[in-house]
Amino acid sequence: MSKKFMERIIGREELIRVIEGLLGNFQVVGPRELPGKGVFYQPMKNARDIYLGGGFTIEPVKKFFLSPSECFFEQKRNESGEFLEEAPLAGDKRIIIGARSCEARGLTLLDKVFDSDYKDSFYINNRKRTTLIGISCDSPDKDCFCTSMGGSPTEGRGMDALIFEIGDQFIIEVISDKGSDIFGSAGSELNEEQKKLWESDKKKRKEALSRKVAVPDGLDKAFGSPYWERASSACLSCGVCTYLCPTCHCFDLVDEERKRLRCYDGCAFADFTLHASGENPRPTKKERYRQRAYHKFDYFKKNFGENLCVGCGRCIRHCPVKIDIADIVANAPLDKES
Amino acid sequence: MEDIYLSNLAEIVDIKKETPDVKTVRLKFKDGKIRDSFDYKPGQFVEFSVFNEGEAPFCISNSPTRKSEGIECSIKKMGKVTQAAHELDIGDTVGIRGPYGNGFPMEELKNKNLLFVAGGIGLAPLRSLINYCMDNRADFKSITIVNGARTSKDLVYKDEYPKWEKAKDTKLHLTVDCQEDNWTCMVGVVPRILETIRPTCKDAVTIVCGPPVMIRYTMPVLLKIGFCAEDIFTTLEMKMKCGLGKCGRCNIGPLYICKEGPVFTYARLEALKYEF
Repeated sequence: MSKKFMERIIGREELIRVIEGLLGNFQVVGPRELPGKGVFYQPMKNARDIYLGGGFTIEPVKKFFLSPSECFFEQKRNESGEFLEEAPLAGDKRIIIGARSCEARGLTLLDKVFDSDYKDSFYINNRKRTTLIGISCDSPDKDCFCTSMGGSPTEGRGMDALIFEIGDQFIIEVISDKGSDIFGSAGSELNEEQKKLWESDKKKRKEALSRKVAVPDGLDKAFGSPYWERASSACLSCGVCTYLCPTCHCFDLVDEERKRLRCYDGCAFADFTLHASGENPRPTKKERYRQRAYHKFDYFKKNFGENLCVGCGRCIRHCPVKIDIADIVANAPLDKES
Repeated sequence: MEDIYLSNLAEIVDIKKETPDVKTVRLKFKDGKIRDSFDYKPGQFVEFSVFNEGEAPFCISNSPTRKSEGIECSIKKMGKVTQAAHELDIGDTVGIRGPYGNGFPMEELKNKNLLFVAGGIGLAPLRSLINYCMDNRADFKSITIVNGARTSKDLVYKDEYPKWEKAKDTKLHLTVDCQEDNWTCMVGVVPRILETIRPTCKDAVTIVCGPPVMIRYTMPVLLKIGFCAEDIFTTLEMKMKCGLGKCGRCNIGPLYICKEGPVFTYARLEALKYEF
């Protein structure tokens, strides 16, 4: 049975004081706008740097849990011969402030992959040692479609606490013990009027999100269609969609300087599935792009019951040729012939 | 929590050159505890590391009934890892993690006539299974092995053939693609040989492994002979990087070959709405 946590209401200066208290004790990370580059997660040094702006990060919070490059072990040698030195699991507790509902929900989908039958100790350790505090979106981008993916800009799945900025006040939804450790006694409980205010604020946030995407049921019917060739023809195979996706998790295992590394990889790349023999089950962009679309909207749903997409819009926003996966999937021909 | 990506160190205790480009290496785990506890089924595979070069999947090519000798992998020189593997010597250290995959359904093969169909290095997983059957011979009915290669030089496990031929109720058909001097066995590609010898499909199961082109042309012949798709097993070759169903490249539709395979019935593959 899930524990019921309280909501707190807190003023700006008190929120800053709470964060200042964290800065002295933990590694704290939050979004920061880098001039001319965009918003990025950066180590937070000053509590007043807390970024509550409308724009969200270019890279998702995924990288703190599934690193772009991570060492698993190193091959070493001593007097008695060769041995493998395991990379230690990071022990330090970490607080990330500023994740959006979509990317936090992405973590709950990654949990299904990395915290399932074969447990990935590196990923699980990163999840455990991190307290994730979200900030609810109030000005979604035109490419956002989280509500069509079963999410919402006001939901806290995958987080420990979620902050709503309402005027100069902050309502904090405490979601877990880890969240309660930080905000459990901050500010005060909501009175009836504030509860009403919060409900109407949540409604407004959801309504601000205008884009609706209908993913058809039975996408597998379109698998054999020549449509995928047209749909993928503009793709440059650059892979930016996979790197910036909060749920893409395909990886390669490579050796460098006697170290075994796990590195991001992606279905957009031609050599992703290339066999040493020269055989390639996904030889052209058509098969590779279709793999991305189907992994997200067909295979994952069959294996885990949900789409592997949270509707954050990053792959659309940052695609150099403006491929829109939501449009492509919504328009897939289910009669196979077209 | 253990690290699922961590290799176990193993020493190369023997190397056999099978063909100009295939070597079989025999490995012993350095850790005695792993040596004792490591168990597998024919058809399962391991992730084989040549440290500082990388990791690649190989089936275990010897039978679990003979694992006290160590485990064996047969490696065809192809890419970066396999080329590095070919340069290794006896005494060198490699990494092994596994076993992974489902392996062959041994219970379903019991008390059946067995037809093994192999092409080239595709005999590797079947060799594990064939020798398992040889070591439990009373559990199976007749055994027919059809083994083809491009040329006689490309036939692997040649020293096993006399033992298989001598075994009770066992037939071995060897074939090469084109006629060669001093070649006394059959000539022709595997599907054609199957049409010629027409092995029994009665109370029989067939297990096929070879290059994709061989599989493609062999399946219709097996159906024509009278095998039903549920009784045709094959083991698929895919780039299985992690072996754990996570890295994302070996799937056919929603099926992760490294986890739910690599052994499938032809019926299951046919029923997939996705290409394979």
